Amino acid sequence: MAYSDKVLDHYNNPRNVGSFDKSDPNVGTGMVGAPECGDVMKLQVKVNPATGVIEDAKFKTFGCGSAIASSSLATEWLRGKTVDEALAIKNTDIVNELSLPPVKIHCSVLAEDAIKAAIDDYKKKTEKVETSVQAQA
Amino acid sequence: MKFYDALGLEPKLALDSDDVKKRFYDRSRQWHPDRFSRASSEEKQRSEEMTAVLNDAFRALRDPVTRAEYFLRESGLELSKDAPPELLEEVFDLNMALEELRGGDESARPQLAAAQERFTGMLGDADASLAEYFTNYDEKPDRAVLDEIHATLNRRRYVSNLVREVEKELNVHSAN
Repeated sequence: MAYSDKVLDHYNNPRNVGSFDKSDPNVGTGMVGAPECGDVMKLQVKVNPATGVIEDAKFKTFGCGSAIASSSLATEWLRGKTVDEALAIKNTDIVNELSLPPVKIHCSVLAEDAIKAAIDDYKKKTEKVETSVQAQA
Repeated sequence: MKFYDALGLEPKLALDSDDVKKRFYDRSRQWHPDRFSRASSEEKQRSEEMTAVLNDAFRALRDPVTRAEYFLRESGLELSKDAPPELLEEVFDLNMALEELRGGDESARPQLAAAQERFTGMLGDADASLAEYFTNYDEKPDRAVLDEIHATLNRRRYVSNLVREVEKELNVHSAN
């Protein structure tokens, strides 16, 4: 099956590969996987707590070219977005941008799940901090 | 359930594999198309259909995993493909080690060998749990047990893919 040029570009030159310290309170980590193909995707966001803007995003994906491209594209899109804007990213946006064929749509779903999981993790962390601050007050 | 009916079995999860095999052979002989060479065309067709169903039934029911998958589908459960979240962290590390070994870093080998052993053990545990759930459900059909079986099947499928992957890499890059 032929990959689109955009998939190939992300696959050959993946953006933002790497990781942040997941114990950093400003970092949200999303880890998702698909049992059929054994893909695992880790996506992290680093949020500016004052503005709620995602300043940086990194990923590492083990999986097919489409899974790597989907998560690479996701990190590009995440940078500069607020946490709420990030949650509005839909897998169909990724499908359209990368021209993914129907059999690879699950890769874009995985990327959307990873974004949601990362934001969710970040939100949980900030809630915890707020509660402990209130408890101290 | 069609496959159980074909072999004259009650729809139970726990089955004796020797009994399943014997029923399959007996019935296959009984319905063998050679025995219907002089029969009417309807009977011939019936014999071919039965032979096909028996083959499918035996393939599905002889193995506990495929049997449970069939049973769940027939019970109206849609088999989900969610990855077990409690394993993801470990799977990620495992993939990192696989990548290192592929890149020629031999220091990843002991970690992979240990992971292979651990995941193979998990397969054995999953099989033991399945056997236990089968008996429980057969005694007292409870939807919650079917959900447990479903989760165990998902975990088992995921882990068995991993084991295959690790075995392949350890063999391809085996030290001389």
